[in-house]
Parts: sequence; structure tokens; C-alpha cells
Amino acid sequence: MIYSHLSRYWRFNVIVCAMLSASIVQSAQYFEKKVSMLLKDVPENPKCFAEERKDFTCFWEEDEERAGSVDQYSFTYTYQNEKSNRCPLRTLRAVGGKRLFVCHLNRTQMFVQMDIQVHREEMLIFNRSLLVELVFLLDPPANVTVSRPGQQGQLNVSWVPPPLKYMDDSMMYEVSYATADSHMWQVEVAKASSKMILRGLQSGTNYKVRVRVKLDGISYNGYWSAWSDPVYMETLPEELDLLIVSLTIIISLILVVLSLTLLLYHRRFLVKKIWPNIPTPDGKFQGLFSVYGGDFEEWLGQSNGGLRLITAVLSSEESPSSLEVLSEFSLLLSSPPLPPKASRALISGRENDRNGKKGMNGRQQLEKGDSAPTEGWRAPQHDQWLMGCLRALHQDSSQSSLLESQDAYVTLNANNYSNDDHLNDILEETSPLGVLFASRKTVSCESHSDLGSVQQSSGSGRLSSQSSFEYPNHAWVPKGPGYTYMAVADSGVSMDYSPMSRADDIGKMVIYANDYKNEIPAHRRPFLPRQRPVHEDDS
Amino acid sequence: MEFPRLLTLLLIVLEWTRPGLLSPLRPICDLRVLDHFIKEARDAEVAMKSCREGCSLSESVTVPQTRVDFDVWEKKIALEKAQEVQIGLWLLKQALSLLRTSVTNTALHGHIDSSIRNLLSISAVLRSLNIQEFTPPDSATGLEGTWTVSSSTDLLQVHVNFLRGKVRLLLLDAQACQQDVS
Repeated sequence: MIYSHLSRYWRFNVIVCAMLSASIVQSAQYFEKKVSMLLKDVPENPKCFAEERKDFTCFWEEDEERAGSVDQYSFTYTYQNEKSNRCPLRTLRAVGGKRLFVCHLNRTQMFVQMDIQVHREEMLIFNRSLLVELVFLLDPPANVTVSRPGQQGQLNVSWVPPPLKYMDDSMMYEVSYATADSHMWQVEVAKASSKMILRGLQSGTNYKVRVRVKLDGISYNGYWSAWSDPVYMETLPEELDLLIVSLTIIISLILVVLSLTLLLYHRRFLVKKIWPNIPTPDGKFQGLFSVYGGDFEEWLGQSNGGLRLITAVLSSEESPSSLEVLSEFSLLLSSPPLPPKASRALISGRENDRNGKKGMNGRQQLEKGDSAPTEGWRAPQHDQWLMGCLRALHQDSSQSSLLESQDAYVTLNANNYSNDDHLNDILEETSPLGVLFASRKTVSCESHSDLGSVQQSSGSGRLSSQSSFEYPNHAWVPKGPGYTYMAVADSGVSMDYSPMSRADDIGKMVIYANDYKNEIPAHRRPFLPRQRPVHEDDS
Repeated sequence: MEFPRLLTLLLIVLEWTRPGLLSPLRPICDLRVLDHFIKEARDAEVAMKSCREGCSLSESVTVPQTRVDFDVWEKKIALEKAQEVQIGLWLLKQALSLLRTSVTNTALHGHIDSSIRNLLSISAVLRSLNIQEFTPPDSATGLEGTWTVSSSTDLLQVHVNFLRGKVRLLLLDAQACQQDVS
């Protein structure tokens, strides 16, 4: 029994000794830290600080060579209105060949001025006045703990304040944190509280946190303590915010629906843009590619090519160009007649009879085989000019002037005609000039009586207004008033249909350009007494 | 409709004419009030230190001792502490009033006036904490725990130290505030 008591007592002693030694070691460490800090930051001598409520320590540093023994120094302190006291000194070795002289007091008076004097062999070396409650240098906060609250990017930090009675509410703390691998510390200040929440942290990152303490300077004051040992903690990993995810899904669904609606609405437009309809001539030349492999001559020969061509031209969406051959008299006399199909082809429908006029435009009666011209021709001035040109071309001709002869001519107009009506009209013979003037109103963009005019689509837009007037059933879609004229020089074998641009080479070849209103330069107009320009009448 | 209005009017009138029992002061436990006074006293001390002329005490004054030994202080009973503080406040009021008449520098008058006002406010705070008031004896000299100062800087320094020390410790220890302390 005694043995058990003894053993227990012994164990207790051992534990107490261990704790004491640990605390002594720790306080010694703290003391060294404080000494070094004060040596660095405080200029006055001696350097003094208060640690606890009653402890007070003063020290100064001297070089080893110049330092005397402890006995040579005297440390004297005097409170206001009281007698002076002496403080026992002790000496310590410091780094760098220095010696520390330390005075430690166990009881102090606060809120009263303290005068300190240090003498070395009757000689005053230091003199300082201070108040003890204004030179606190505390130990760093203990038990710094960091925990994770339930929220993202936050950490809870708590610590135990230094055990100083009456001074709890006078303390302020600095919490410093950084990511584990960086040295960029951020600082937050807390006053008179022993915990803090760090916000705005990155998710899923390891942070280190440390705390230090100081008295706030109103009633008590002092220096910043050393930093506590850093504590490491990782923040919560990032998780998807449910609200953001659901909102993203909803918005993307809405956008998809909107885009689909838009696509469907403009389906045809988009399809045309992306997949444009490449026009092929298959539709207009039936059997040309499928049967004859593209051999146009054969196709023409083998089929009712002319009629088919007319039909195709008439039924196409685009207005076919009109080719107007004003005079074929020379051709008829000197050469075999045009192949019927070719001539028919040239006579493609023209829209001259909306108003019941007939035959203003050239028709050709090639089948008749005589030189009687089919019809008169309008008398735009340029027609006269054209006729003159043709005349010039056919100088060897023994024919009378084109002007007086009723020449047969063929016009290809850029109109959509109904097949039957216009074919009849085309084949009919009329007096040219009378019909011309009578049928003013049927002036259309195509120049009906022009000599070798080929109406082609060109740029000017004056056509459209008149055309709508002229052709109330809107069957005709004008393509443009520009005419390109070419004389049909028929060698009996082929016809030259080469189109040219407007007014390019007048006189060079038999290419004539003309406006919608059939205006031609004045100098080119041959004189024709009865002729009146159609366009004048139309105005 | 008429009756509620009449009743309301009656209640209001009765409230006004309630028998004039002053409701007890709410205890002022927030020490930030005192901290504010301490800051102003410090400003006055600094201003006085930089004063060159027209800022001297005409005569010596009695001021309370400001030193605090925690061991000794803790052993004192509440009544002793209260007495020390109340007497000290009274002494300081006398001294500051004298200073106010002695100092001719007008820049300091504001500081001294605010210091006197703050002392009165502190007395009110102590009253709210039910701290006993003490009427000092007629002769201030010879009181225990007093000093005599003859310079204005010393006086203001004593003033600051007294507020920071004893007054604050007394307020911290005040019984009326103990239940608030967590």
C-alpha cells in the first residue's frame, strides 16, 4: 500500500516536472523570440515589456568585449511620488557575441509613471520613463483551431485568448491566412472576440492560418505578439450549385426551341441558300440530255425542235429574249429559206396583241417563201436606222430599200406568250407601218420592229412600270429594257445569235443596243416621214 | 368609432400624467463609452504638452492616486473600490475647474470643458450601475490616496491614468453588468 502511494506520488511528480519543463522550455522559446523582436523594433534602452498581469521584464544588450560584470550595473526604477527601488540583474549570452542584461519584476504598478535608470559604476547609461500597462508583449494565442463550416469557401477559426484578467475586452487579434504553398498572407482583424469566420476562400484548397494578439491601445497598449504556429485545413470541395445548373438547363432548352422555331420558319430560305437550285436546261429541252446526250443539232433535227423550242421558251419562267430580224428579203432571194424550225424559233411569242394590235412586230412568213414581209414595223427611229444599217450591209442586194419594202423580220421577244394566240399573230401578214403606229400602246420593252433586235435582259428598270400597265394579266415578266440587236446573218446554215452588250459596237457588227423606249441617237436615225417614235406617243 | 378614439386619447393623457417616478436608469455596461472619454482625455493631455504659454496651474491641486497593483486591487472589497473612484472623480472635477480658470490659452478651453463634462457623465454611469456615491469631506488635503500636483501636464496625465485604471476596473467589476458578461 505504501508502495502504491509512493509510486503514484512519483508518477505525479514526473508528470508535473515534465509539464513544467515543457512550459519552461516554451516560455524560454517565447522569451527568446520576444527579445529578438524587441531588439529589432524598439529603439529605447532598456527594452521593457510586460507579459502577464504582474510580470515586468527589462533588458539591454551589450557587446561581449565592452560588457562588464553584472555587479557593475545597477537598475533603478521609481514610481511616481514614491521612492526608488533596485532590480536585481542577471546576464545571458546572446547570438552574435552579445550579452544580455535582464531585470525581472514580479510585481508592478500600473497606471502610474515609472522612471528607470541604469547606472554602470555610478554613471548613468540609460534613462527611461514608461507606464507598465502600455508595454505589453503577450504570448501568441494558444489552441488555434480551424474547422469547416457547412458552406463553400469558408473556414472557422477560433483560439484561446491570453489569460489576462480585466484585459479580455481590450485585446485585438490579427488572423492571417494563405494557401498552403504560397507566401501571400491575407490579414483580417478581430476585436475582443476569440473566433472568426474566413470568407471568400477557394474551394478544395489547403489553407494555413495563424493568429497574433495585441492590446488595443485605449486602456492598455503594447506590441504585436509573435505569430502562432500555422494550422492547416482544407476547404470544402466545390459542388455544383443546384440553382445554377437548373437555370442553365432551362435557358439552353429555351434557346434550342427558339432556334428550331426560327429554322423551321425560314426553312425554305435556308434550304435555298445552303442548297441552291442549280438550274439545268433539262426542263426546257426535253430529251436533249436523256436521249441525245446533249447533241443539240441532232435533237433539233430529230424532233419538232422549233415548236418545242417555242413551247419551252414560252413556258419557261424567264422571259426569253426576243430576236427580231427586220429584213430577210435578201436572204430569201439569195439563199434558201431558213429552216422552218429556226425561223419559227425566232418568231417566239411576243406580246403584241394585248390590245388587239397585230403584227407590229416582225413576223416572218418564211413558209410562204416569198419576200413579202409579214407586217409592218413600228417606227421607232432606231428601227429606221437599223434598217439603214442592214441596207448598208446588204449592198449587193438588188432589193429596194428596206424602208419601202415590206420586209419580213423576225423578232424574239422577252415575253411570255400563250402559244396559240401569238403564233397566229406571228404568222399573219399586216401592213407594217400602219400597224406600227396603231399599236402604240403595245409598246413594251421589246422592240418589235427593230431590226434584228434581240431583247435581252439588262439593267434599266423602266420597264416594270410600263409593263404592268401594258400587260394587265401580268403574264409577262420583263427582264429589262435593254435590247441587244443583232442582225441575223443567215447563211442558210446557222444563225448567229451572239448577243452583245448594249451599244457596244454599233456598226462593227450588226449589234444594236436599244433602250426600252426605243431611243436611239439622233444621228443614227434615218429620215422617215411617217414615222413617229413610239415612245413619244406613249408619253 | 367614437369610443376607441376616446379611449386612445384617455390612455395617452394618463401616460403623460403618470406619477413621476423616475424609472431606474438602465445600467450602462458598455465600456466603449468610457473608452471614448479616455480618448478625449488623451487628446487634452497631448494638447497641453504642446502648449507653451498661458497654460499653467495657478496653484497646487489634490488629485487621486492612479496606481493599481492588481494583487492589492483584487483584495479590496467593492465598497472600497467604489469609494476610491468616487472620491477621485470628485477631486478631479475640482482640479479641472481650477485649471479651467487658470489656463488662458483659449485652444485648451475646449479640451478642459469636455474633460469636465466627461467626468460628470462618468458619475452618471456609475449611478446607473448603482455604485454608491460618496461625499468627500470638506478638506481635501490629507485624504488618503491622494497626490498633489502643481503642473497642468501632470494634472491631465493623472486624469488620463485615473480613467484608464481605477475607473475602468471598477466598471468592469460592476455587479450590475456581471450577468451580461458571457
